[in-house]
Amino acid sequence: MTRLSGGLIDRTQSLRFTFDGKTYSGHAGDTLASALLANDVRLMARSFKYHRPRGVLSAGSEEPNALVTLHAGARQEPNSRATVVELFDGLESFSQNRVGSLGFDLMAVNDLMSPFFAAGFYYKTFMWPRAFWEKLYEPAIRRAAGLGKLSMQPDPDHYDAGFLHCDLLVIGGGAAGLAAALTAARAGVQVILADEDFRLGGRLLAESAPLDRPATEWIAGLEAEFASLPNLRVMRRTTVWGAFDHGVYGAVERVSDHLADPGRRVRQTLWRITAKRTILASGATERHIPFANNDRPGVMLSGAMRAYANRWAVSPAKRIAIFTNNDDGHRTARDLMAKGVEIAAVIDTRPATTATDYRVIAAGQVTNSKGRLGLSRIEVNANGRSEWLDCGALGIAGGWNPNIQIASHHRGRPVWDEALQAFVAGPGGPAGLICAGAAAGRGSSAQALTSGAEAAIAALADLGIAAYLPELPQAEDAAQNLQPFWHVPGKTRAWVDFQNDVTVKDIALAHQENMRPVEHLKRWTTLGMATDQGKTSNVTALAVMSELTGQPIQATGTTIFRPPYTPVSLSVLGGGDTGAHFRPRRLTPTHEWAKAQGAAFVEVGQWMRAQYFPRAGETHWRQTVDREVLATRKGVGICDVTTLGKIDVQGADAGAFLDRVYANAMASLKPGMVRYGLMLREDGFAWDDGTCARLDDTHYVVTTTTANAGTIYRHMEFCRQCLWPELDVQLISTTDAWAQLSVAGPNARTLLQRVVDGFDLSNAAFPFMACASLTICGGLRARLFRISFSGELAYEIAVPARYGNALMERLVTIGADLGATPYGTEALGVLRIEKGHAAGNELNGQTSAQMLGMGRMVSAKKDAIGTVMSRREGLLAERRVLVGLQPVDPGDAVVAGSHLFTEGAEQNTWTDQGWITSACFSPHVGSGIGLGYLENGADRMDEIIVAANPLQGQSTRLRVVSPHFIDPEGGRLRD
Amino acid sequence: MTDLQPICALGQSAPQARRIGALLLSQNTALGLASLAMRRRAEPPQIGLPLPGPGGWVEGADCAAFWTGPDQWMVEFPGRAAEDVASALTARAPGCSVSEQTDGFVAFEIEGDTPPLLALISRLVNIDLGRFPPGSATRTGFHHMSVFVIRRAEDRMAILGMRSAAASIWHGLTEAAERLEALT
Repeated sequence: MTRLSGGLIDRTQSLRFTFDGKTYSGHAGDTLASALLANDVRLMARSFKYHRPRGVLSAGSEEPNALVTLHAGARQEPNSRATVVELFDGLESFSQNRVGSLGFDLMAVNDLMSPFFAAGFYYKTFMWPRAFWEKLYEPAIRRAAGLGKLSMQPDPDHYDAGFLHCDLLVIGGGAAGLAAALTAARAGVQVILADEDFRLGGRLLAESAPLDRPATEWIAGLEAEFASLPNLRVMRRTTVWGAFDHGVYGAVERVSDHLADPGRRVRQTLWRITAKRTILASGATERHIPFANNDRPGVMLSGAMRAYANRWAVSPAKRIAIFTNNDDGHRTARDLMAKGVEIAAVIDTRPATTATDYRVIAAGQVTNSKGRLGLSRIEVNANGRSEWLDCGALGIAGGWNPNIQIASHHRGRPVWDEALQAFVAGPGGPAGLICAGAAAGRGSSAQALTSGAEAAIAALADLGIAAYLPELPQAEDAAQNLQPFWHVPGKTRAWVDFQNDVTVKDIALAHQENMRPVEHLKRWTTLGMATDQGKTSNVTALAVMSELTGQPIQATGTTIFRPPYTPVSLSVLGGGDTGAHFRPRRLTPTHEWAKAQGAAFVEVGQWMRAQYFPRAGETHWRQTVDREVLATRKGVGICDVTTLGKIDVQGADAGAFLDRVYANAMASLKPGMVRYGLMLREDGFAWDDGTCARLDDTHYVVTTTTANAGTIYRHMEFCRQCLWPELDVQLISTTDAWAQLSVAGPNARTLLQRVVDGFDLSNAAFPFMACASLTICGGLRARLFRISFSGELAYEIAVPARYGNALMERLVTIGADLGATPYGTEALGVLRIEKGHAAGNELNGQTSAQMLGMGRMVSAKKDAIGTVMSRREGLLAERRVLVGLQPVDPGDAVVAGSHLFTEGAEQNTWTDQGWITSACFSPHVGSGIGLGYLENGADRMDEIIVAANPLQGQSTRLRVVSPHFIDPEGGRLRD
Repeated sequence: MTDLQPICALGQSAPQARRIGALLLSQNTALGLASLAMRRRAEPPQIGLPLPGPGGWVEGADCAAFWTGPDQWMVEFPGRAAEDVASALTARAPGCSVSEQTDGFVAFEIEGDTPPLLALISRLVNIDLGRFPPGSATRTGFHHMSVFVIRRAEDRMAILGMRSAAASIWHGLTEAAERLEALT
């Protein structure tokens, strides 16, 4: 064990956990990484491409190496960073990306073949033969290179989502974030403080004496005050992962990931936080300094080594060394030495650096390392002398990069700060966001505290709210005295991006291949494209490229970042509802009755509609549908058509308004009558059809197709509010308010006569296309429309939606002697195809009124949306029109989507004569039938043509007929 | 009086209610609704309460109203769903455009302690609850559906959504309440 004294772990609580099946013990407050280190486990992973042994590099969410799989079975969670996994009793963890054991990974052979796997190797190596790429090379590469594996089972956990609003969002609970939250909360504004860690404090927890008092004491005092402030919400274990438009930030709260038994708790919650102002106090990430074989377990960031010692009371080895270009490395040496860790040496790239307590190798460089599965020795070169030092761990201090990822989510391009030798947030980032503390390059504890408070004061001043600097503790304010040193030159591979296995040599190769612009460098080498988005590698890579090109870093450029800041599970983005509840469902008013009848349902947009009503003995849906169709044609059928959009149009100018949105005239419609309406798009193509009923002088009810109910209502509102605000017209959707049933068939009138309250349904009193308000079933208000989609004598009756179920049941019951039969959407489709009525298949956005045979409906006496454009040359020249199609051999099926060709002609795009829009089996005709658009169709009646269905190798001879397979004169619906 | 038996939007003959933790969620099937829109150049109608402005909900003696758009309101008639409230409103607001909406919507009332009430609502709709005091109403998204949210009192809120989507709304409400309750 390499546990040290002190730390912020609770030694009274021992927690047992496993890694690769072996049981270990840790303490409450440990992360998986700290607990593994405390158990002398340095080897935690294999690298992405070369399968090199890897250990922990960092102590935070930037970790590129120590990626593990958590849990087993369906809860298996690959690619989890051991550095941020909060330890709990019973945690199961596994190494990943290996064949064999972690210590003996067979895929490590890749490392021996590394000369073939240099950057861009697959662009060149696997170019021939071309067909092999998809079938052989890519699958093989994907199998060899990868990280953890998914369980391939449904996620059994639950997730939640929610919305929060605040005046100030503070991202990060370190010194700067705490000071900012304190300052703003005391000003009385609504504040959210979100921190990804399970404990507030950030680097204050990782340093030995950052404040003039114990940091935990100051933080505990703050937490007590925070808890008393109703205007401050502290969100621990919450990662703000993205900035979006209008001050919206995405955050994931890990609600129960850290619990051994989460019970019924959700695993995570996705929060969308709307903030007027934001302070990004996300800290900084330390840079490493690439040198030969710098990726062995035990090589880690100096600040992380310090954090493990101070917060988690653990050292990765009993004897360590430090490689630094600034004073921070010495701080680590002092802290670890104070805890009894032996310091082999501090190798400082700066000349003339000294220390009295440990050996300093000034002007030195680490030039190589040894140790098969973990660091055992480093080679140091200084002043022309080379020596090997024994050490189990090496801390590297290369300076700090502000964590400005979220500041660049709106394409805010970072700018180079020469004094800091780092990129800081530039202009163009999320509006209202201010960086503070180490994220702004002000990384000492004193600077962080002050800058956090000052940022809060500035943010609130921007909102016109006064805030005041709180009393803050005295804090360390040591300068880093950094002297830039980016990498140790050499011919052996030196890793820059650990997670994607990108080395200095790869960058040099990119330079050689002229992939020098930073975006090309990234894509050519895959640097920074791993799940860590290059948090520990991007800037170092730019510095290396800068050295190669001879340009300053700022001229080399930098990439920007995109959400998420750290990986986010797709499950939490989904918001928690899966399966049937993934999206809303709309049920018709007769749904319960249909369900009780055993109806099959079909999704129609969000609606669930009864598709057909099978009866005992019917073994195929076609039997059911044929029966429903024939029953309707012979007796009476009843269908729920509530899903059609219904829009109430009222006002003195309602008629004039409808004249402008429909191609045909509506103002001239008499009260008590209905007219079929055709709506065009601005470009003149047919858009939607429906009926327009005039209930009185100033009140119309129009219907739309089910599919377009929402878009037509929106379009009409746009016309009303924006195009013609001078018109006195009011609109409101009533789709859900009324249950509407179609009652169709020769017995429809007789059936309805049994429910209406003394209303005269005779042809003379209530003719075809009449409408009325009336009462039924003893006083229930209703609306009746005599309209027909089936071609039969038909009505649509509307009642308040809650009565729809009972009315359907009543009609079927009292109409039993009339053959009353419920029918679903399948029969509805057959009936309308037999009648030759257009539906969505025919109104597909590429067809005109002329093609539909409705060219004359586009009124020449008035203007309407789309009228002028419908007469443009291109549309007038269109020769395809709607025809009926019937197979020459009645045994042949008619397949919708087939394309039409002249018999005997070659079949290609140039000879294409049209296509079949709708097809069904017609029990009335006794064969398959179809509707379709055919070149000069009106002049080709009785011609035999060919329908080609190349997908299934079908070619069917069809006869061109009238689209009206039943009652072409329309006598039935007018009787 | 019709002999047809109505059913509730959730499909049963009686309204649903559930107590989850500190909250009572119930379907309000007695709420009569009618939309009211002023004609052009007309004077605001006198319906027995001051018609609210944007974001507002006002309760009167026998009805309440919330703003739905310029010169447009939804008028609530508590306990009068069985009546023809559109005709009743037309009588009070002659010359206005009135449409019956009782069955256009399903209404769910939520009541209980304020903190869990607000915690629940924050998981369902994107409203700044700190600026949504009693007397507020707005239209917003709820699980990809459009709903009205009304703050009737400090400890009472209502969600009105499409009647056809009642089951989805109820599921969203009760699931969120159960998830919230599991945290306590």
